[in-house]
Amino acid sequence: MTKIPEVWIFAEQQLGQIEPTVFQLLTRAREIAPRFKVVAVLFETPTQHLAATLAEYGPDKILVVQDPRLAQVADAEQATLLAHLVQRDQPNSFLFGATALGRSLAPRLQAKLQTGLTADCLALHFEDELLVQTKPSYGDNIMCEIVCPDKRPQMATVRPNTFAAQKVEPDRSRPELEVVTDLPWPEVAHFQIIAEKKVATPQTGLSQAKRIIALGRGAADAASKTVARSWAQKIDAQIGVTRPLTDGGGFSVKDQIGQSGQTVAPELLFCLGISGAVQFLSGITNAKVIVAVNPDPQAAIFSVADYGFVGEANGFLTALQQVDQRKQAALK
Amino acid sequence: MKIVVCIKQVPESNQVKLDPVTHNLVRQGVAGKINPFDRHAIQAALAIKAQVGGEVIVISMGPADNEYCLREGLAMGADRAILLSARAFAGSDTLATGYTLSQAIRKLGAVELVFFGRQAVDADTGQVGPIVAEFLGWPQLTLASSLTLKDRRLEGMRRLGDLEQTVALTLPAVVTASNDLNQPGYLQPRMIKASFQQEITVWQETDLAADPLRLGVSGSPTVVRKVMAPQRKQQETVFLATDPQQAALDLHAALHAKNLI
Ligand SMILES: Cc1cc2nc3c(=O)[nH]c(=O)nc-3n(C[C@H](O)[C@H](O)[C@H](O)COP(=O)(O)OP(=O)(O)OC[C@H]3O[C@@H](n4cnc5c(N)ncnc54)[C@H](O)[C@@H]3O)c2cc1C
Ligand SMILES: Nc1ncnc2c1ncn2[C@@H]1O[C@H](COP(=O)(O)O)[C@@H](O)[C@H]1O
Repeated sequence: MTKIPEVWIFAEQQLGQIEPTVFQLLTRAREIAPRFKVVAVLFETPTQHLAATLAEYGPDKILVVQDPRLAQVADAEQATLLAHLVQRDQPNSFLFGATALGRSLAPRLQAKLQTGLTADCLALHFEDELLVQTKPSYGDNIMCEIVCPDKRPQMATVRPNTFAAQKVEPDRSRPELEVVTDLPWPEVAHFQIIAEKKVATPQTGLSQAKRIIALGRGAADAASKTVARSWAQKIDAQIGVTRPLTDGGGFSVKDQIGQSGQTVAPELLFCLGISGAVQFLSGITNAKVIVAVNPDPQAAIFSVADYGFVGEANGFLTALQQVDQRKQAALK
Repeated sequence: MKIVVCIKQVPESNQVKLDPVTHNLVRQGVAGKINPFDRHAIQAALAIKAQVGGEVIVISMGPADNEYCLREGLAMGADRAILLSARAFAGSDTLATGYTLSQAIRKLGAVELVFFGRQAVDADTGQVGPIVAEFLGWPQLTLASSLTLKDRRLEGMRRLGDLEQTVALTLPAVVTASNDLNQPGYLQPRMIKASFQQEITVWQETDLAADPLRLGVSGSPTVVRKVMAPQRKQQETVFLATDPQQAALDLHAALHAKNLI
């Protein structure tokens, strides 16, 4: 009997929290490889018990490596442990989130296994057992379709928020569980984690926000910022900015949307005073409904907008708030 | 201390287009420039050299005109430059590139620190640094946002999502520089001029003791099947009324109907 091909997903976690991209990848893997075995590979300390969270997204199997030493672990150690597992089970493909950790770990594993790795994928599908990977190049100006015909596993990192995560029915979420505790621990000297701390992100992640108000250079004046903040509070939105707004004036790189900032996937996105440079647009391709406000009717932002207002951000937003107030009042 | 910085030459502009007929890349502007992120890597190497002495060697793999980026490296203050250029290297993906660079670093001997940029702005992978670290069997600090050297211990920080890690590595080690690490200065005309007086060493595959099967196309497991123009969300934009009051009213109604506000 030929073995069912396996798609592995590295279940990246930070201090006991699974990185959301993992859920997106589990969902996508089930869609593109319904006949393959979808396996989540989890590294945790014996007290963490993160498998149940992963199970909600319907993997066929969860492969858990449990070891207290995983509390603080070097990239090189994790790559060595993963290589042991891959050599044992020979998966068809292995997916990572294109997060800082995924992008550090996956290439080390690739080098160990001497196989191919495609970075920062925006689309994935299978042709039979061949993984077809689409990745952007030249700052998202060009898309490349990449395959790895001869080497296995086929490896890819996938840009966060490229796919939607979907939980499965509870009766479908009974994956096979294998806990591995006896992997030979790699001797990786010369590396030590001195400290780890969660950086306070007051607005728990732009990338997770359901509603975002994005401000660009055309809406960077104090009046526009004030009206944007009050509108954001009203509709429970977070504020994001384009790159020019990150050097001072109350915003930093953490608030930046785009190629060198965050990829966002809100249900509603306001783009105020934003021209729509490709580096910005590449961060908002997964926004559902986009409203753009810009006095320049030729601005590129309108090419991706669902609703466009040609005019000043401040005046428009003020009018929108007034309309909202009137409607709220009428409901009372 | 012998410090290597791997630098890549990238097109002057990322505004590349596809020729609609041939489907080949049309690059505007012929010349290339140093990958902007690699300037942070050179700057970091120069800072370490300023502290402990030694030499900074810039290495680039690519066609003969990669000389440009190497001269930029020299003008920033690197001591010497090596160009890895041979037909056998053509068509390398990140794995073959990493292998070739690591063989060059081995050949140099006694290298204690290798710097990379966080990623190349054309390929956008950021894979080459960790691949070289693995081939050399050295520890790595990726996306370093701070770095200090005390004795033979390198201490630095990186951000993993919401997590900030402070780590220590003993040399030899690989570091990929985040753009927060430092602020590269402007080139001085005197240095630019001097860089053109300097010799650039060229190494081919025969200089590297390399396995020919791991170079270029044969050493590259990935194949680019197709290049395409990105499909932007094709959107019929509804333009709102020119009067802000009316526009606001219409938009409010539309968003409300979709349960968005
Ligand atoms: C390698 C690289 C990476 C980059 N990464 C990013 C990234 O991640 N994110 C990012 O955003 N940028 C990034 N950039 C920068 C990007 O190219 C643009 O420069 C930037 O997005 C422009 O920001 P903007 O739209 O706010 O400003 P501008 O391009 O200056 O546009 C301002 C707009 O405001 C409009 N305007 C003027 N007055 C008003 C008004 N009263 N009301 C409303 N509108 C008004 C103008 O018509 C104009 O269209 C990157 C660039 C490079 C080279
Ligand atoms: N051909 C090359 N020659 C020298 N260094 C390179 C080359 N390609 C990539 N690098 C280095 O590897 C880093 C990451 O590149 P990449 O993996 O292509 O995104 C770059 O910032 C450079 O430091």
